[in-house]
Amino acid sequence: MPDRDREPTIGELLDRSGVSRRGFVKYCTAMASLLALPPLAGRAMAQQLRAAHRPSVIYLSFQECTGCLESLTRSFSPTLESLLFDVISLDYDDTLQAAAGKQAEQARDRAMKENYGKYIVVVDGSVPTNDGGVYSCAGGRSAVDVLTEAAKDAAAIICVGTCSAFGGIPHADPNPTGARAVSDIIGDKPIVNVSGCPPIPEVITGTLLQFVTTGQVPDLDAHGRPTVFFGNTIHDRCYRRPFYDQGKFAKTFDDEGARNGWCLYELGCKGPTTYNACATVKWNGGVSFPIESGHPCLGCAEPDFWDRGSFYSPLASARWGKAGEVSPTEAAEIAAGAVAVGAALGVGSVLLGRHRQKARIEGSEKQEDGDGSH
Amino acid sequence: MSRLGAIPIHVEPRPVEAAPAALSGTIGGGVAALLTEIAMLLERVAQGGEPQAIDVRSLPMSPDDRTQLVAALGSGEIEITLRADGESTIRETSVRGVWWTEYRDRHGTVVANFIEIAPVPQILVVETDELQRGAERLRAATRVPPPSREEQANA
Repeated sequence: MPDRDREPTIGELLDRSGVSRRGFVKYCTAMASLLALPPLAGRAMAQQLRAAHRPSVIYLSFQECTGCLESLTRSFSPTLESLLFDVISLDYDDTLQAAAGKQAEQARDRAMKENYGKYIVVVDGSVPTNDGGVYSCAGGRSAVDVLTEAAKDAAAIICVGTCSAFGGIPHADPNPTGARAVSDIIGDKPIVNVSGCPPIPEVITGTLLQFVTTGQVPDLDAHGRPTVFFGNTIHDRCYRRPFYDQGKFAKTFDDEGARNGWCLYELGCKGPTTYNACATVKWNGGVSFPIESGHPCLGCAEPDFWDRGSFYSPLASARWGKAGEVSPTEAAEIAAGAVAVGAALGVGSVLLGRHRQKARIEGSEKQEDGDGSH
Repeated sequence: MSRLGAIPIHVEPRPVEAAPAALSGTIGGGVAALLTEIAMLLERVAQGGEPQAIDVRSLPMSPDDRTQLVAALGSGEIEITLRADGESTIRETSVRGVWWTEYRDRHGTVVANFIEIAPVPQILVVETDELQRGAERLRAATRVPPPSREEQANA
């Protein structure tokens, strides 16, 4: 039976394709930087990777919009093609592969058989469970069925996107398809959640590379996400954070505060409660991230982000409801989320933000009533 | 005074490299902390420690902070262009042993940017197995092929 271990190592493949040692060290240094490792760890990482074999990867797409795969194909460092050719062997991906129908399904079955216990399953999309799972089928089989079979002999599962990690948008109320996260269905395999809608491409490729380099599941947070990418809130690493600490907020999308690049907290930014690497890794090859483009964070890497009220309500309003007084417990909870520096100011901002927005909404409603437009 | 050695010589130390302009100006707290860290790492390397590096991209720096840092470190005598899977640059700063390293991929996108504290940037160092392969390659190029049967017969 063919075995991945008898195939050339990554180093041998690189030598054959003319990639120099320095070129590969450079690549690994970029990876080390992404994984928050010391930059000079790239050298050791290169040595380790050169001796490794490319792992077989089976990419399963279920109830999803393909946004996560679109994101992955735009990874700058490493690029998808370098990942595919140099580091992993993508043996099944029904969206990217040329094969279709029975040939495609055979490719998946063969990869699972040949790499028993060693392959990685990447899942994109939630798994519908209502009505026997009929809402996501391929080749006459339901997503639950395909996932259960693929997971059985896998080394690990990487859930790409909030849908496979937490159920995502299909799971949003009223969840007509009974969408569930992979971790709700598979309980006996290591699962790494790379959440986001979509996740940052470099976070997807970085997580895969980390696994290939060390052969181990990375350190995970309470939601099963790699702490190296999800260890800080967007707010903690946001370049607009000093304005939050100074109490300077944009109150509309076109006021002086917005033009001056002040904090977007009062416009509904979910940065304080969202753990992701957008503020450091950024998007489009490090060009910017939503807050840098003037839009509040939606909190897409968190469970149930779609059901947490308006994207444009300040966090206080979204969490506490539209009316009522703030209890000491709730205030303490927000203060903890606001992190030590400026925490007291944070609570003040929450209250002010809520009242300011309420006043604005009431003001505009009165105006609309006066206009007789509604 | 009959011997050359009898001539009294006083060796004057070279003037200390002028402090980078920005060092004398006002430096932000974050940049000052970073310079202190670089100084500490330099001392560690000077005492025989492993080369060190600080990942600039992982630091939440404003454009002003970065300008201050670049000015504070100044520029040195060496600039290296590395052509391996894209063109990258390694520049010596005015502080010896402190290098600005910027790696770019083949599309010109910056993929790593760090300050390296080492006598020589580590990516320049050639591994032992590469030295060995180089020697083998040169020996193969200069090796005289064994004489053919005809040549042997004629001899």
